[in-house]
Amino acid sequence: MSVGHFAESQALSMGVELELQIVNLHDFDLSPGSGDLLRLVGKHKLPGLVTPEITDSMIELCTGVCHSHAQVLSQLTEIRNALVQCAAQLNLGLSGGGTHPFQQWSERRIYDTPRFHQVAELYGYLSKQFTIFGQHVHIGCPGPDQALVLLHGLSRFIPHLIALSASSPFVQGTDTGFHSARLNSVFAFPLSGRAPFVLNWGDFNSFFDKMARTGVVKSMKDFYWDIRPKPEYGTIEVRVLDTPLTIEKAAAMAGLVQSLARWITMERPFEPAEDDYLPYTFNRFQACRFGLDGTFVDPKTGEHRTLREDIYTTLAALAPHAAALHADDALSLIRGELAGLGNDATWIRGVAEREHLLPEVVRQQCQRWAGHPSR
Amino acid sequence: MEDLLAYLHIAPRALQPGVVFWSSIVLVVGGSLGELVFRVAGLPRILGYSAVGMVIAVVGQGAGEYYLGGVLRVIVDLALGLLLFELGSRVNLRWLRTNPGLLFTSLAEALLSFLAVFAALRFMGLSLNVALTCATLTMATSAAVIGRVASELHSAGQVTERMVILTAMNTLIAVLLHKLIISWLHLDTAGDWMLAITQPLYTFGGSILVAALLCGLVAWIARRLDLRDENSVLLLLGLIMLALTVARMFNLSTLLVPLLAGVLLRNTSNRPWVWSRHFGTAGGVLVLMLFVIVGASWSVHSLLVGGVAAMVLLLVRTAVKGLVITAGARWSGISLRQSLALTMALTPLSGTALVLLADLQISHPGFAPQVAPIIFSAIAIMELLGPIVVQWALRLSGELPASASSAKKGVRA
Repeated sequence: MSVGHFAESQALSMGVELELQIVNLHDFDLSPGSGDLLRLVGKHKLPGLVTPEITDSMIELCTGVCHSHAQVLSQLTEIRNALVQCAAQLNLGLSGGGTHPFQQWSERRIYDTPRFHQVAELYGYLSKQFTIFGQHVHIGCPGPDQALVLLHGLSRFIPHLIALSASSPFVQGTDTGFHSARLNSVFAFPLSGRAPFVLNWGDFNSFFDKMARTGVVKSMKDFYWDIRPKPEYGTIEVRVLDTPLTIEKAAAMAGLVQSLARWITMERPFEPAEDDYLPYTFNRFQACRFGLDGTFVDPKTGEHRTLREDIYTTLAALAPHAAALHADDALSLIRGELAGLGNDATWIRGVAEREHLLPEVVRQQCQRWAGHPSR
Repeated sequence: MEDLLAYLHIAPRALQPGVVFWSSIVLVVGGSLGELVFRVAGLPRILGYSAVGMVIAVVGQGAGEYYLGGVLRVIVDLALGLLLFELGSRVNLRWLRTNPGLLFTSLAEALLSFLAVFAALRFMGLSLNVALTCATLTMATSAAVIGRVASELHSAGQVTERMVILTAMNTLIAVLLHKLIISWLHLDTAGDWMLAITQPLYTFGGSILVAALLCGLVAWIARRLDLRDENSVLLLLGLIMLALTVARMFNLSTLLVPLLAGVLLRNTSNRPWVWSRHFGTAGGVLVLMLFVIVGASWSVHSLLVGGVAAMVLLLVRTAVKGLVITAGARWSGISLRQSLALTMALTPLSGTALVLLADLQISHPGFAPQVAPIIFSAIAIMELLGPIVVQWALRLSGELPASASSAKKGVRA
């Protein structure tokens, strides 16, 4: 077993995957509807794909290969509209958010495929606790070495992406105090974390072969890294984002990652080094726990500042690249969020505070996902 | 011995078991039997309750041909009222609008099964009025059976959702039709035009009014108190009971009032309704009594007189429901397997039919005995079969959680 050939892809092309919550419309708890939803949505001609996820109250959608923020948004809109229409026919709701605020993981059912049952068997309760919902962004790379350099360059911005996309403050009915509690579930997996610091494909292959020889992994799918190479697609995959509450935010986050990739590739603002990872888990924790107010330790200088400050600095550096990629709309949406509530986790907390009823929070999340103005 | 009793000032009292005594016995036996069938056979608990009722009927202590009256009627009304209110509060009318296939299925399932049963009974040589009345009384699915089985087994999915909304709809239509049939009987037997027109209008109007009042009060309370709280549940139960008592006082429909109130509550506000688990517990005693009473409503004699007609009626009813649901499956967005499961889930017959029959007995005491044996027999046949069939249906459609399937092995969450 080896990683295999790194497929060719166009540099800076992108694809977005979103995991969604399927809820009932009575008490807005998760509802086992993915089979029904897939059957109905199969009748629609869509630009991307809709696929099952590990438990039957989750569904995943992904776009095709896109080249611009506008294209991502239009594909997401088309898929979203079809899904929302099918869900309405089944009296179901769809919602973004990294966790369902009050579902009980023990009540979840594993979706009926051999792989999912295998995973459930291996990880036990972790697999059901894995009823969490993330956004993955793929960025195309011209070759495997460039992919690894980009991967380690992007690692510096993992905390930024976490803080901006965080939308999972509640787990099993309680406010965790975290902005992204979802990632705590990911970190529980033995093979989560960061990719090893290697910058060429040969070294990466020998790392993988050594791991495979231990019998711990069989394929790249067994690694739950924050960013991992996806050789079949010729991309690197950023996996730390919580599913946002709207497709507009999801598309904007993709545009942001694309702009970051262009900046890192073209200007090489930082030389990647193993030592960059010294404050990595600290920074990541700060982002999960405190969101934009978390502390960011600059890996090069050791300087401390808030994530919000570092994001503003980064956005300024990204401006010309966003302009070149026609991703200005994406960055201005993010600037708007920074000036307002900051992220979806804060919005969710606000609604929960106002309504005192988590099902009502989920109802309003469904409204936002469907593109109806929230009330 | 007597000396000792006298010494201890214990005066021996004549043993005169009354209502309280027998009710307690029923609760103890029903509760134990319910738990037994659940633990040993993995079947719904209500099966145990009904079985107690059936035994009472077999030994000749059942209501037999005496209909539902007095304190028994009060218990049935309250228990059924709670279940119908809960059922109604799960009916999302917007779903019927966004899914015309479902709306069509709902209307066609209710009306065609009515027509088919009517035609079949006429074909068997029964009189027009008997066939018409039997077809109306058996149109509705038992809200009590599907509601209890679904909540006890924690089922979730399309079949569960659809059996709830279709039952709410066919109950609604059956009650409305029943009032019209009663008018028709007034006209037919007494030729009383005034009564035939004013009575259904009065019942509908009055029931809607009381339902709206109940809905308004509950919504008002829900805005101020957390309905998941144990005390608010008591308040809620009290309100529903009050509304039902008012309905009985003014001779309104005790089925229509709670059902409509639930539907109104669900559809007049976007805010989700979260019922407490206590809602079930507090009403649990009533529900147990309901199933015992319904189980005891038949007699061996009624089965001999009406058994054959009841069998034909049930077969035709199931077949037509099945045909309609299967025909509308693709249009409304379910698979064939789900449509089969949904058909099975809609077969139970129990409390609703019994209450409608009791209403008929009040308005037409002379005519009711003609339909009673058929209705009693149909209820008796479905009494034990119904909960089992619903459980099968939910299992067939894969809507039972893993924990419900393991209940048999004694694993508890």
